[in-house]
Amino acid sequence: MRLTFERRLSQPWWLSVAVPVGSVVVAFVIAGIVLLATGVEPLPTYRQLFNAGFIQTGALTQTLVSATPLAFTGLAAAAAFRMKLYNIGAEGQMYMGAIFGSAAGLFLGGRISSSATVIFAMVAAGIVGGALWGSIPGVLRAFFRTSEILTSLLLNYVAGLILTYLIFESQSYWRQTKGFNATVFPTGKALPDVAQWPTWTIDVQGGVVIPLGALIAVVVAVLLWLLYSRTRFGFEARVLGDSDRAARYSGVRVRRKILAVMAISGGIAGIGGASQVGDFAHALDGDPNGLQKLGYGYTGIVVAALARYNPFATLLVAFLIGGLENAGNTLQGPGFPAGLVGVLQGIILFCALGGEVLVRHRVRIHRRVPKRAAEAAS
Amino acid sequence: MNNSLLVVLIASGIAYGTPLLFASLGELLAERSGVLNLGVEGMMLVGAVMGFWTVQRVHSNTAVVLFAAIVVAAIIGAVLASIHAFLVITLRASQIVSGLALTIFAGAVGLSSYLGNDLNLADSPASHTFNAVFPQSMQNWPVVGPIVFGQNVLVYASWALVVVIWLYLSRTRPGLNVRAVGESPAAADSMGINVTRYRYAHTLLGGALAGIAGATVTLAITPQWVDGITGGAGWIAIALVIFAFWRPELCLVGAYFFGALQALAPQLQARDIHLGPTVLWTNALPYVMTIVVLVVVSSGTARSRLGAPAALGNAYVREER
Amino acid sequence: MSAAAQAQPQPQTPAVSMRGVTKRFPGIVANDHVDFEAAPGEVHALLGENGAGKTTLSHILTGLYRPDEGRIALYGEPVEFASPREAIDAGVGMVHQHFRLVPRFTVAENLVLGDRRGAGRNFRIDPGAIAEQVRGLGERYGLEIDPRARIWQLSVGEQQRVEILKALYQEARILILDEPTAVLTPDEADTLFVTVRKMAEEGRTVIFISHKLHEVMAVSDRVTVLRAGKAIATVRTADATPQSLAELMVGREIVVVRREGHAHTDAAPVLEVEDLWADGDRGTVAVKGVSLTLHAGEIAAIAGVSGNGQRELAEAIAGLRPCTKGTVRVKGHAVHTGDARTAFQAGIGYVPEDRLGTGVSPTLPISMNLSLKSFRSESVGPFLRLRMMRDKAVEAIRTFGIKSSGPEQETDELSGGNLQKVVISREFSAHPSVLIAASPTRGLDVAAVEQVHSYLMEAAEEGAGVLLISEDLDEILALNDRVLVMYEGGLTEAADPTNVTEIGLLMAGGKPA
Repeated sequence: MRLTFERRLSQPWWLSVAVPVGSVVVAFVIAGIVLLATGVEPLPTYRQLFNAGFIQTGALTQTLVSATPLAFTGLAAAAAFRMKLYNIGAEGQMYMGAIFGSAAGLFLGGRISSSATVIFAMVAAGIVGGALWGSIPGVLRAFFRTSEILTSLLLNYVAGLILTYLIFESQSYWRQTKGFNATVFPTGKALPDVAQWPTWTIDVQGGVVIPLGALIAVVVAVLLWLLYSRTRFGFEARVLGDSDRAARYSGVRVRRKILAVMAISGGIAGIGGASQVGDFAHALDGDPNGLQKLGYGYTGIVVAALARYNPFATLLVAFLIGGLENAGNTLQGPGFPAGLVGVLQGIILFCALGGEVLVRHRVRIHRRVPKRAAEAAS
Repeated sequence: MNNSLLVVLIASGIAYGTPLLFASLGELLAERSGVLNLGVEGMMLVGAVMGFWTVQRVHSNTAVVLFAAIVVAAIIGAVLASIHAFLVITLRASQIVSGLALTIFAGAVGLSSYLGNDLNLADSPASHTFNAVFPQSMQNWPVVGPIVFGQNVLVYASWALVVVIWLYLSRTRPGLNVRAVGESPAAADSMGINVTRYRYAHTLLGGALAGIAGATVTLAITPQWVDGITGGAGWIAIALVIFAFWRPELCLVGAYFFGALQALAPQLQARDIHLGPTVLWTNALPYVMTIVVLVVVSSGTARSRLGAPAALGNAYVREER
Repeated sequence: MSAAAQAQPQPQTPAVSMRGVTKRFPGIVANDHVDFEAAPGEVHALLGENGAGKTTLSHILTGLYRPDEGRIALYGEPVEFASPREAIDAGVGMVHQHFRLVPRFTVAENLVLGDRRGAGRNFRIDPGAIAEQVRGLGERYGLEIDPRARIWQLSVGEQQRVEILKALYQEARILILDEPTAVLTPDEADTLFVTVRKMAEEGRTVIFISHKLHEVMAVSDRVTVLRAGKAIATVRTADATPQSLAELMVGREIVVVRREGHAHTDAAPVLEVEDLWADGDRGTVAVKGVSLTLHAGEIAAIAGVSGNGQRELAEAIAGLRPCTKGTVRVKGHAVHTGDARTAFQAGIGYVPEDRLGTGVSPTLPISMNLSLKSFRSESVGPFLRLRMMRDKAVEAIRTFGIKSSGPEQETDELSGGNLQKVVISREFSAHPSVLIAASPTRGLDVAAVEQVHSYLMEAAEEGAGVLLISEDLDEILALNDRVLVMYEGGLTEAADPTNVTEIGLLMAGGKPA
């Protein structure tokens, strides 16, 4: 028995949707087997997950808390990966966005009374922080041909160290120094009220709170889609992602493009960081067991890969994976295995990768024709 | 003299660098066959967890337990690598995304955490650890004492491994074949070499060594288990392969160099020496140095071209038109 | 005709027998119930135009592909190869058109790869013993080569020698040579024919794949003609003429397109290249002080074996490669070198040799590729005018007869000929002052070749200067007003563009008398 893969002559559009969906289903089946092997009942566990993620009161609000940063890191990954620039640094770029964003919030919050201005400044600062951090691997790749995979990744660790340092190991601007609590456990300075991002509540399921960050994410998705499909920049970026020789041939200024895409990707992750500060924590979270343990940057890659790097699909997948993360957090404790969420995500991604081959190729199973039969036939 | 900073750094550099060495040698084998496996960090973490678990749960004398732990770690590393191998060799998926998926699946918020917490491994330190092999009297000899004779058996095994791999790649026929597979799979295929089999074998071997590397961390360096104990070592190992121009002997040099960097921070603190304004500098140093080295190595274009296996990262298809 | 073949009467066990062999790929039947037979000690040519199925058939014989139907027998024994390994063990060796050598390895290492028989079969490799064996083999066949040289250091002709040595080292009884003269100068080709004869005299069977009539006539005992995947006929070479073979090959009368070449020196110069120097990919100098002037309406053809700097010269002029020295002027205006955008905006069109890798963006739609260089001027501010691009694409598809499922089809799904039409239509529509075409008809079938040639002449008629770079001497001779020859980075003009001997001499680095 042999398997061969034949390139499909044309790809039916529905396959591009069926395959990711199918891979999720298969992933849950496989994970179910893994659960059984460790003595956990899969179906009740899944029901619990679904409930905690989407159904029970307050679930949707919590899901959005997870989904918002995932949308940003997912869009950041999609923006870069589509161009075959493997920006693994969304995690660190998000931290830098948080640092810059909270700095803007702290500085301007005390001086300007218009909330809109302050928030705008925070978003802008977040973009700048993320973009700068993303430009480092961008420059190294564009001008020194160094693989952005490793450099962006190593910078995540550096960014994490900086973040921890600012709150835990120094008396920095970001650190809360007044009050009794400050001496007990290091925390970030609380942002003034004008710097806190607004929310909107929909009267469903007991009230779903939609943070500003979620709406910004939608806008970013639209802008990203426009950029890549309707502009000259996007045209050049698509060619570059497809074939760098063809890109050079068509007059693309390759080095500038690489730098630009990495900066955009970093900037988007940076907004995610600013959103963490403005929407949720309302202070800079430098706790090594806090933001740095959540791994939004890495999960964002899973989101983007599942969404096949389409900006709108990324939003949807971010919501779904956010639900999964939320459920994992809610249910954590004895009786519910920690790390299950990562395992599930990994399996889903494996299945999506495996399923990818089906989109582009048709699988043929060959049976070896027995020699006797062949000779007899002649 | 044996307590001088330099001697201690070298001795600790060797100790800390051993997991890096195992992992980078494994990745070197995989990459020489043309397969990029970014899942090293994940494989190391699972190797660390399962090696630790073996030591805590198997009751026998130290040597047997430790040996079993290494075997278990190697097996689990190979099993994980086989997922990646299947996806990228047989199904021809993107090697980069698959490797990342492996890291997420097995990494600090995935399988290793799941296993470690589920099996309650964080509670106690290791029951058995790898300790120095030679008697204390030899360890007290000037300079060579701590550096050469103060190491555990895994270190010595790693030295043997470097030699074995060097001989394998440069002096044996299978070694020649695997190099051909990594350089021009089409040429190798047309000479009757089974590209698929070589790639699978070397990717799985790479996984096994990554698993052993992880076990080295929990059983020889920090004799306990916490979530994410390797702290990014897997990524440094991948960078090491590039830094070493895909040569095993240079992996040794690089691993010990970075090991020494990791040993630097606690040593400086113990001696009250301050490198920069804050402890941030020394903590970040290993990562920053890795980046600097990568840049230096990649910007010499011709030199890096001469290093990487030409077909690295590309799936090989025979019947494509 | 070799003595061995002449002495033996035809009815004997054929060395190779293929019956009813069929191989399908998505959308195409590459071999359609092909019957093929070759006798021991015979040089048997497999003739057909590009795309006829010759290479596919040979890949089946060497175990690289598996046939969907049909039977194969060697020396009367039925065989079924599951892998190249089995074919090699059965004594089938192939010298591929695109060498299957590992560039970083030495000659000896390449020969020894996968070795089961000779000095390299041991687990431990003994470089000395292998080198000895290789040297011995080289001397025996007049294919001398240094076993310790690395492949990337060798010239293309020398690399081919290594490929042949590889097959001989594996003691192949059946040797397949796939388009071997494509990379040789005329003299080197003659030497090759002598080697082929020698091998046949030893009783080996040589299957010689080619699309060149005069070669087939010169070297083979019998010819089998393939057309569109089917075996059309097998004839004895002595009984055939180039015309009869050509008709079998194409299925109709061929009208050979020839250009009435004449000088254009009084026309305005459209391209002036002065003392151009450029480096190759490995850091060595590839273009050494090239100067040339191209006039409007002229077709200047650059001949030369590949690897002598032609590709680098084309890239340097088209802005894809930085120039270390020298100037380029288009219609009198200096063009800043090293930037592709500047070059094509100045009016230099370029049809690259590597059409799939450089000439188009493979997985993007045809419409995007047709606007690959023009999209900047076709946009409103930062925004693309997608509908206009699409309409333009529909028009181009119609005008140039590009067979596709529509402007949104992924470009790499097109056949070689249609792909080239996309590239050519794009370059033409820009109405360039200078058109550089590098190996534009490589791998294309006769119909497509005719079309490309007519487009090139049309471009010249419209006033462009055409620089045709080709390794196909027939093409060079058919289309030129002038012939230049590139050798080791230097460019020389042939005094008489119809004198093949002189051109061949220049291609081999000789100086004309």
